[in-house]
Amino acid sequence: MSGHVRLRDLTVQAADGTPLVAGLSLAAGPGTPLVLLGETGSGKSLVLQAIMGALPPHLRRTGEVVLDGQPLPEGRARRGLWGRRIALLPQEPWLALDPTMRALAQVAEVYRLVRGMPAPRSRAEAEQRLRDLGIEEAARLYPFQLSGGMAQRLALAVLRATDAPLLLADEPTKGLDAARRDEAALRLRDEAGRGRTVIAVTHDIGVARILGGHLAVMLEGRILEQGPSERLLRDPAQDYTRRLIAAEPSQWPTQWRAPSIAPPRPAGEAVVEGRRLGKRFQDRAVLREVDIAVGRGEVVAVLGPSGCGKTTLGDLLLGLLPPSQGEVRRAAGLAPWRFQKLYQDPPSAFAPHQSMRDALRHLGRRHGLAPTLFEGLRDRLRLPPALLDRRPAELSGGELQRFALLRALALDPVFLFADEPTSRLDPITQQEVALLLRGLVSERNLGLLLVTHDAMLAQRMADRVFTIEAARLLPAGRAG
Amino acid sequence: MSGLAFGRRVAALPCARLAGAGLLLLLLGFGLVGPWLIEADPARQDLMASLAPPGARFLLGADHLGRSMLARLAHAVRLSFLLSGLTVAAAGLLGTALGLLAAWEGGWLDRGLSLLSDTVLALPGLLLVLLVIAFAPGQILPLAGGIALALWVEFFRVTRAQARSLLARPHVEAARLLGFGRAYILGHLILPELAPILFTLAGFGIGGVILTVATLSFISIGLKPPTAELGGMTSEMLPYLAEAPFQALLPSLFVALAVLACHLLAGGRPR
Repeated sequence: MSGHVRLRDLTVQAADGTPLVAGLSLAAGPGTPLVLLGETGSGKSLVLQAIMGALPPHLRRTGEVVLDGQPLPEGRARRGLWGRRIALLPQEPWLALDPTMRALAQVAEVYRLVRGMPAPRSRAEAEQRLRDLGIEEAARLYPFQLSGGMAQRLALAVLRATDAPLLLADEPTKGLDAARRDEAALRLRDEAGRGRTVIAVTHDIGVARILGGHLAVMLEGRILEQGPSERLLRDPAQDYTRRLIAAEPSQWPTQWRAPSIAPPRPAGEAVVEGRRLGKRFQDRAVLREVDIAVGRGEVVAVLGPSGCGKTTLGDLLLGLLPPSQGEVRRAAGLAPWRFQKLYQDPPSAFAPHQSMRDALRHLGRRHGLAPTLFEGLRDRLRLPPALLDRRPAELSGGELQRFALLRALALDPVFLFADEPTSRLDPITQQEVALLLRGLVSERNLGLLLVTHDAMLAQRMADRVFTIEAARLLPAGRAG
Repeated sequence: MSGLAFGRRVAALPCARLAGAGLLLLLLGFGLVGPWLIEADPARQDLMASLAPPGARFLLGADHLGRSMLARLAHAVRLSFLLSGLTVAAAGLLGTALGLLAAWEGGWLDRGLSLLSDTVLALPGLLLVLLVIAFAPGQILPLAGGIALALWVEFFRVTRAQARSLLARPHVEAARLLGFGRAYILGHLILPELAPILFTLAGFGIGGVILTVATLSFISIGLKPPTAELGGMTSEMLPYLAEAPFQALLPSLFVALAVLACHLLAGGRPR
């Protein structure tokens, strides 16, 4: 297999001439993964799309993409290379797989239609690919019956079937929890080890660290610095790269104050408490006999992989779901709106057609709040007034999450349920929002229930950490 | 809205919608202002002028009883738009309100309303209309009511399905937690999202009702002569198609134009 790629002065411009990717020159070869690291909007995904030839039509590209000494053909002709010379591992593969086709058939069709093998041999090859990745038992399942990790492996099996020398991976770990993230990154590194050229795009330093190879840090469409991954992560030359590395939860100053095993109850009085809570959805018990209490001025973290019931636990405490067993008690004499929630996907927590100004004005009118209260909070959360006239689609995730905090804090909350509040944010923004939240907990003396799949984040933020295993809530030991 | 902002919004409309809006404005202008400007009485007969061709006295000619086609058309267009507007408004309000209620309440109320709407859908629409106009043949309100009784179902089904998925979205849950009540959530969060699709439904609805009213009058079970109505005029003039094709086809042309205008305006997708 060959697969030497060279980008020469690659530039992508918006319709009005704004450069989104400016004069990028990079090279990648078999065996050494090339990792583009950067935050949302840094232009890293556009680079992949430019190599694929799949840029949105209103963008203009100049510069060259050279594969094995040949400049890649333009437009439709480049599609002829898809699946033969270039293959893409999509973001969130469970959305990219054909929902109406069983796993085995999705792999077999590559052999039959792309590589022109007869049907029986295609099936045999496909079965072998599934076995290679340890998912042969999934052969007869549809994508919606697969877990996130299995869907990821199936997508990889499809890619291996193509035998294309150049493999592009766009945020290959998006939406996976920590354990699956590492597994997916390791597998991608294996692909490079098998002699393929891997170009991966990520905002996650942990993924860059596992992939190794050559690292390029991107900011605002340019490469800030590049070099061997190991050296760059150990000894960055640029201030931005240093901040990016420092924003990883494992590098934060530790906040851990509790004993190694979390005590089951808060030190003071509980603001909200669940007793012997149970929840079933149809036949599946998601939670069983859970006792949990959150006190004022403390952070309680609940850890667990996707789908383990940790969001359900928070929703039960907020009364958004009725428990199947047990009961939820709130401290007496508090208005219902003093129990608030922060959402995982900040844009979804706002009405798409409403400007922030309108949303806050309506909230003020509903509760008879003075406008000065909002101004004070806005300063505290460092939200400039110019953002007020924007709608959710025109704000970044970090800005929206701070607006969500603003409207919750305006109601003087005693309890806040934060459902993965930082998992969709860039590392630096994640750190900002997390530290802000931590500060507000002591400042406003509120109880915070933090639900996350990131053990490091939980340990850096929480006073008490629990995990959910087999539908039960267990105190987590101190790790790391 | 300032003139400039309005101009920008008009310019942003795609061609098809712009054409539809222009055509609709012309027709509405003809129907609303026409009856005031045209002095001729749409019911005044002059048998000496039967089937008179277009000319100085009758701009669009005269019908078999020597009545001014221009005056009759203006009145008929006004009647068509009033009747269809009234019908669609009634059906839209009823359907949307019931759809929101079903989506919000769920449970037996939702099942009951859905059953009712499915039942109405299973009946031929014409049967319902005939049933209602049988109480007061030839009158406008029963006709509008009868058509609305069949038409509310599509507003109900669309509103219910859309509102159900909107109500399950996090921003609605957040609004509940922030202490907002049902009126705010429905009025400020759900309806603005539904507005474009309801507008489309209403546009198609008005076009459809204009056609239905004309059809019913054409087969003489809608509005009765001497009321000037597009379908009724077509049916009256049909025997004279050979002698006066222009006057005979004119009412049908107006029906076609009105329906086309509504469909262009409602169906042209923004971008």
